[in-house]
Amino acid sequence: MGAVELPDQIKPVMQNGIPAIVVTCSADGIPNTTIISQVYYVDKTHIALSFQFFNKTIRNVRENPQACVALNDLEGNAKWILDVQYDHSETEGPIFDEMDMQIEAIASATGMSGIFRLRAADIYRVRSFKKVSFSPASLQGVTHGDTGYTKQRASG
Amino acid sequence: MATQDIQSNERLVEKLAQKTAEVHVLKHIALNINSTLDLDQIYDLVLGTMDEFFGFRHSIILLLEDSDTLRVVASHGHENQPLGGTVPVGTGVIGTVAKRRRLMRVNNLRPQRAYFSTIRRQMEEAGRASELGKIVPVPGLPDAESQIAIPLMIKDRLIGVFSVESREQRTFSDDDEALATIVANLAASAIQNARLYRLVEERRSELAEAHDHLKQLNETLEDRVSARTRELEQTNRELRETQVQLVQSGKMASLGMLAAGIAHEINTPIGAIHSNADVERRAIGVIRDVLQDPAFPEKLRDQPRLKHTFKIFDDINRVTLEATERVIKVIQSLKSFARLDEPELELVNLHEGLDSTLTLINHLTKDRIEVVRNYGELPKVQCYASQINQVFVNLLTNAAQAIKETGTITITTHQDGACAVIEVADTGGGIKPEHLDRIFDPGFTTKGVSVGLGLGLSITYRIIENHRGSIDVRSELGKGTILTVRLPMAPPRSYLAEDQTVTVPLG
Repeated sequence: MGAVELPDQIKPVMQNGIPAIVVTCSADGIPNTTIISQVYYVDKTHIALSFQFFNKTIRNVRENPQACVALNDLEGNAKWILDVQYDHSETEGPIFDEMDMQIEAIASATGMSGIFRLRAADIYRVRSFKKVSFSPASLQGVTHGDTGYTKQRASG
Repeated sequence: MATQDIQSNERLVEKLAQKTAEVHVLKHIALNINSTLDLDQIYDLVLGTMDEFFGFRHSIILLLEDSDTLRVVASHGHENQPLGGTVPVGTGVIGTVAKRRRLMRVNNLRPQRAYFSTIRRQMEEAGRASELGKIVPVPGLPDAESQIAIPLMIKDRLIGVFSVESREQRTFSDDDEALATIVANLAASAIQNARLYRLVEERRSELAEAHDHLKQLNETLEDRVSARTRELEQTNRELRETQVQLVQSGKMASLGMLAAGIAHEINTPIGAIHSNADVERRAIGVIRDVLQDPAFPEKLRDQPRLKHTFKIFDDINRVTLEATERVIKVIQSLKSFARLDEPELELVNLHEGLDSTLTLINHLTKDRIEVVRNYGELPKVQCYASQINQVFVNLLTNAAQAIKETGTITITTHQDGACAVIEVADTGGGIKPEHLDRIFDPGFTTKGVSVGLGLGLSITYRIIENHRGSIDVRSELGKGTILTVRLPMAPPRSYLAEDQTVTVPLG
């Protein structure tokens, strides 16, 4: 099965400024949910999450690279669920610079420079995604790509 | 399928038309932006065109004021946004773009700000306000959703930031970003050219001002150098005159001493000769009386040889008396002229001084020049007699020498207020008009090398000046010259104090 590719219409959803939900799970199976301000579009197969604080999410993905990201698409009246896998962290380069620049721009004007500081740009590979409509008729979204969970369960 | 192709083609055509229009607008900006060096025109062109053709309603240009600050120089579509506002480099979208010198496009500013503000509020509520910095107001739309900020660069150097904003999310596309970047680059070049031109104009103006100032200084310098030169020349002239006067005074002192010695040595024998001649005259009278005695033989009394001898005696005796009287007078004049025993300021009868001088220069006037003494009422004058006599010698000698053959020297004196006036007029050849201004200069003479040194009138001028008097000359070629000396009857008090140091008395 070929690598799943994100559609262009997900870009504005990532940039709409509505905080996203990230769900991770520790090695011993304890899940964690957190809210992040922005998910960055890297390319059709990768996204990036900002690593600003050493918290449970970071600790979890270092132990267990699987994660789930939920994006709110108010205009599309839908939620995008991305099944991603932690790939690597970047502390320099164009992706890191762009993310760092945005954080600095907003933080510096709001007196938060000392709080928000990008430690790394964590790059995740998109394994699958699905767009879940809020309308009752289509609550069940269409999954694109291959989810490890599904495979594991299928094989298990 | 065919319908899809047609729609696709229509979109392509529409896209092509749009791109063509953009190229035209960019061309319009490029052409016009380089046709002016006026910064305000450049700002208007850039911001106005961006609004009119590309729909960028809210735009702003900031220029780097110093390494830490950007200042708003042009604003379009912002209400109540006065020019001159500042943004610290490194603060907000614009400040961060300036700091990193990289373009930034943000499509969700408001929610991001809201997110950060929420965190801030939570921290404040949690008692962590001390960890927070100040909120810095930045120019632009307070409720902007989208923004493109582009650094204005000249080569590797940042000169400012161009920013466009919108109240809608995701207003700006990749095409907008590309367009704005092109316009920003054009604007950067034009702004830099205009600023350089303005700088050159300012420098040129400053240079012109500096040049004028320097020129003025040079002119002043020339004036000052000229004035100083004149002062030095005057000082030099005065030094020379003083030196000449010192030398002359020394000479006069020596001559005075010599004259006094001679007068003393001659006075006694001349007195004896004069006295003997008088005795001789009276003795001859006695002899003549004796011969008239009737007892004396008449034949002897009427001897022609005896009568002839008596006549010779009378003549010789008369000549001897006249000669000795003349010598005595000369000796008296010499003594009066030299005044060896009177070096102090004193009350002097000027007429006596004139007479003594005339006696001494008798050899110059005798048999060819008539001297008219037109003396008026003149009280005694307080002065240095020997110096004033020197003045008379110079004036009368010049007058006598100016008369080549025969002529008249008229000496007129009178009192004019607090001054004694002495006028010496001759009927000589006169002084050429071009020489009149120079006759008191040291070394100036028209008499020829062997006749004079050209110091007489210079010394005269200096002596009269020292007495706080004045000397005036009038002359007419072929008719003669009149020199008029005015001497204060009593010199001012300051002069009396000064004269101890500046005047060198004879002797």
